[in-house]
Amino acid sequence: MNAKENYERIQTGDVVEGRAFTVTTETIQDFGDASLDYNPLHFDPNWMEKNDFGGTSFNGVIMHGMQNFALITRTLTDWLVPRGGYHRRLETRWIKPVKLGDTITPEAKVIRKNPTDGGHWVQFEVIVKNQHGEPVATGQALAEFRDTIPA
Amino acid sequence: MNVMGEDFETDFWKEVNDRATWDMIVPGELRETRPVTLTKKIIQDFARKVGEDNPLYFDEEYAKSTPYGGIVAPPSIHILLMFACTTSKDWMRSPGTINAGQNWYYNAPIRPDDTITMRGTALDKFIKKDRLFAVHENLFTNQHGQVVCTGRGQTIRPV
Repeated sequence: MNAKENYERIQTGDVVEGRAFTVTTETIQDFGDASLDYNPLHFDPNWMEKNDFGGTSFNGVIMHGMQNFALITRTLTDWLVPRGGYHRRLETRWIKPVKLGDTITPEAKVIRKNPTDGGHWVQFEVIVKNQHGEPVATGQALAEFRDTIPA
Repeated sequence: MNVMGEDFETDFWKEVNDRATWDMIVPGELRETRPVTLTKKIIQDFARKVGEDNPLYFDEEYAKSTPYGGIVAPPSIHILLMFACTTSKDWMRSPGTINAGQNWYYNAPIRPDDTITMRGTALDKFIKKDRLFAVHENLFTNQHGQVVCTGRGQTIRPV
């Protein structure tokens, strides 16, 4: 199938359900070891108890914000690769800190399709929610459908 | 063990006084960086530890059957490069640095044994309410001079 045919199979309103992810000291350690981000925000419960970040007290270690980013990326790429799409852009904002024991689940939705002079683009709206249904991160993503891999 | 091996300094308090505070960050000034070669092992260790299990990153035969033509790194590999390509004196390591949001554009995939060079600056800094923000801007290129990805982010600086 060519890029245009793949693009035409994507529908506005398509929902991409991510897998649930539970945050443990082990997942935080793994993410630190992957990212090299050893900020005590994620590793030092005592420091986090006593530190007041300009009025925001977290009462314990928090998950790396970029773990959200990586899980959103996984959700999108796992869906796009078999459909012939390429993940081209991701923009995220963190809404709420994610703590030990929280379970977060990303979801993306196709909100618009944009043919351009040279390509076929799909816009996604992204939200990551915790186990209470509260948003912890939001974002927008762009995928491109093309006949050859980028660059 | 972290994906780059034991040489990486994981104690972010060690050089805390050598790092630029918000007051010292000069928008436009280049951050000190070094090129990093991403072996297949580094790519796969990274992928596994951030929760990736797509065979595109692990199974050479499968990856060859896709348009990628072989194993690639997950797009999110820049998360590692931000720290692997900067030095232990870089202000992104200051304890208490809080990520406030990011946007990244992906141009070309990174493949095993690619050598990636980072160009990074603080693009801007500002104060909102009582919080000190820095905006950082990054460009990553491979050994062919090809842009692999670009990204921008905001962090709240520790005070």
